[in-house]
Amino acid sequence: MAAGREIKKKIGSIENIRKVTSAMQMVAASKMRRTQERMRQTRPYAQKIRAIIGHLAQGHPEYSNQFMNEPDSVDNIGYVVVSTDKGQCGGLNANLFRVLLKEMQEQREQSVDSQLALIGNKAATFFSSVGGNVVAAVHNIGELPELKELIGSIKIVLDQFVQGAVQRVNVVTNTFVNSMTQRPVIRQLLPLTKTDDLTSEYWDYIYEPEANVLIDGLIQRYIESQIYQAVIENVACEQSARMIAMKNATDNADNMIDELNLLYNNVRQASITQEIAEIVGGAAAT
Amino acid sequence: MNTGKVVQIIGAVIDVEFARDAVPKVYDALTVSETQLTLEVQQQLGDGIVRTIALGSSEGLARGMEVVNTTQPISIPVGEATLGRIMDVLGNPIDEKGEIPTELKQPIHRAAPTFEDQVGGNELLETGIKVIDLMCPFARGGKVGLFGGAGVGKTVTMLELIRNIAIEHSGLSVFAGVGERTREGNDFYYEMIDAGVIDKISLVFGQMNEPPGNRLRVALSGLTLAEQFRDEGRDVLLFVDNIYRYTLAGVEVSALLGRMPSAVGYQPNLAEDMGILQERITTTKSGSITSVQAIYVPADDLTDPSPATTFAHLDSTVTLSRAITDLGIYPAVDPLDSTSRQLDPNIVGQEHYSVARQAQQVLQRYQELKDIIAILGMDELSEEDKALVFRARKMQQFFSQPMFVASQFTGRDGEYVSRADTVRSFKAILDGDVDDLPEQAFSMVGNIDSAREKAKSMEETTT
Repeated sequence: MAAGREIKKKIGSIENIRKVTSAMQMVAASKMRRTQERMRQTRPYAQKIRAIIGHLAQGHPEYSNQFMNEPDSVDNIGYVVVSTDKGQCGGLNANLFRVLLKEMQEQREQSVDSQLALIGNKAATFFSSVGGNVVAAVHNIGELPELKELIGSIKIVLDQFVQGAVQRVNVVTNTFVNSMTQRPVIRQLLPLTKTDDLTSEYWDYIYEPEANVLIDGLIQRYIESQIYQAVIENVACEQSARMIAMKNATDNADNMIDELNLLYNNVRQASITQEIAEIVGGAAAT
Repeated sequence: MNTGKVVQIIGAVIDVEFARDAVPKVYDALTVSETQLTLEVQQQLGDGIVRTIALGSSEGLARGMEVVNTTQPISIPVGEATLGRIMDVLGNPIDEKGEIPTELKQPIHRAAPTFEDQVGGNELLETGIKVIDLMCPFARGGKVGLFGGAGVGKTVTMLELIRNIAIEHSGLSVFAGVGERTREGNDFYYEMIDAGVIDKISLVFGQMNEPPGNRLRVALSGLTLAEQFRDEGRDVLLFVDNIYRYTLAGVEVSALLGRMPSAVGYQPNLAEDMGILQERITTTKSGSITSVQAIYVPADDLTDPSPATTFAHLDSTVTLSRAITDLGIYPAVDPLDSTSRQLDPNIVGQEHYSVARQAQQVLQRYQELKDIIAILGMDELSEEDKALVFRARKMQQFFSQPMFVASQFTGRDGEYVSRADTVRSFKAILDGDVDDLPEQAFSMVGNIDSAREKAKSMEETTT
């Protein structure tokens, strides 16, 4: 019966884990709605500014600043990596890092270096163990991130871009497809990319007031909005990924408890049968 | 004068009455005149009556039959004449090759060598099986137990050990088949003929269809053969398949002999029964006996009294586990449950020792992480733990090895891996030198180089 007690103990500990995971699942489910809502609210703004920037890049404005010029050669790329603060959200971060590491590996083969600006605790711990040229990191962004908390680290990468230390800046984040699916993407932030919408003819804007003032400000807003949208979207991804992961964990724990209960009953019955057999055998022998 | 009469028959236990001044001694062999059945005295009940066990079928026996006392224990032919021959428990040849031409006979009951006669050696005996050489290395002159439940591959592992040791080994071997399948005995016999080493092996069989008396004593018969070779100053290998059947035969006659069953229904003198047999299997100053014993574990429960009493007698224990056969890994040696007294830096060397201990730690950690992985999934592990889990899984696969005697099942030729190669290969896995190879590349290969080759050929077939 010693084995029986051990099994009981194990069932107990798995039940405790189950309680935690199912609580986390419910918390994530309620947060998921709010974070998705927030993501949807900022999305039109981010998309529109992206489209405008696309047109801008495609057109030939009378003024162009350093963010708009395609570099002659690329030997260093800055990555802004958006990750979560906490774990227990399935393969969300792991998938993102895998995509990023693969990309970095490919770039390295073409002798292109990389620099990393990390947002979220998970990215910081991951790259401190894997190794990587980390130039900036933001911790504890929380569920309601403020732009001013993020912009500091971005600034470092932007400064490097301005100085020419990096010739391209990419944003690495998860995009929200639906509650079940999140897709890791690497999107180019700088220099400005042409619009994805190929049907539209190129056009030039008419600027009022001066083009240089306007474009400088616009690009500033563009960068902020893209980063903010990436973070907000990642938070939404995190909550839905966590809900799914915790639901799976709860189901797995349920299965394990069922299996262990079956085993426990077997062991218990076996020991009862054995004791009876021994008593009967003993009585018959005397 | 030395004759008595059968007075009671209960299955394999027979009471015989003698004149009160001619009571046979315990362990004397008696013969029933009419059927030539041999009986062995177990107890003297008083009033001239002795209780005996029948070494053979007791059917057709009747009260009042005449029984002759041979006044000595059962003796069997020993020495070189027995090489290449198969005997039963009484020393009668059963290979249809006529009488065993020797006058040299020894009683199967004997005292164990005294303390001062015994010697301990620490010279290693390489088996060529990776997991055994790494985790539970054998000593020349040591005692090895092969524990395992039903159908986990005890006999196959044993045959592989025989192939690797006995065939490479220049000395003599004795094989005692105790209560196992006759088919396996037959396979073994022809295997030895094919390998051309039959003239170096003596075989004794008392298989599972035989009465309990035979199965109880056949281990002693085999042992007597080995002892004779040892006392002649040779190094002998003794293989016993299966010690548990010896215990079981003891159980079968114990209650009939009037003993009260003890824990789990075993005979109350289980420890003594086991001690009588095991204490005789030792290396003395004149020669050595290296024994490999298969031990069946009832219901996969190692705490069962029978395997538990056997444990203490052994130098190395190789535990075969069902959980590992379920993964399809053969030989299914459990690296965490198997140990050896030889796993000591002073004997195997510091490198071997630290690799083995590290491997155990990694596997232990993997065991602990398994529940977390089962509930939360791999993604929740830290990077170090992930790497550790992958290495542990690779090692687990790497413990499998194609065996020579199982080549008709696996379709692959066996591989012999030297101990140095084994240590080097496991070190490579632990150090992360082969983290890039896929897990399947480690399954059923010899050393680490063949794992690399397998990975390469796997890559070629997929592209």
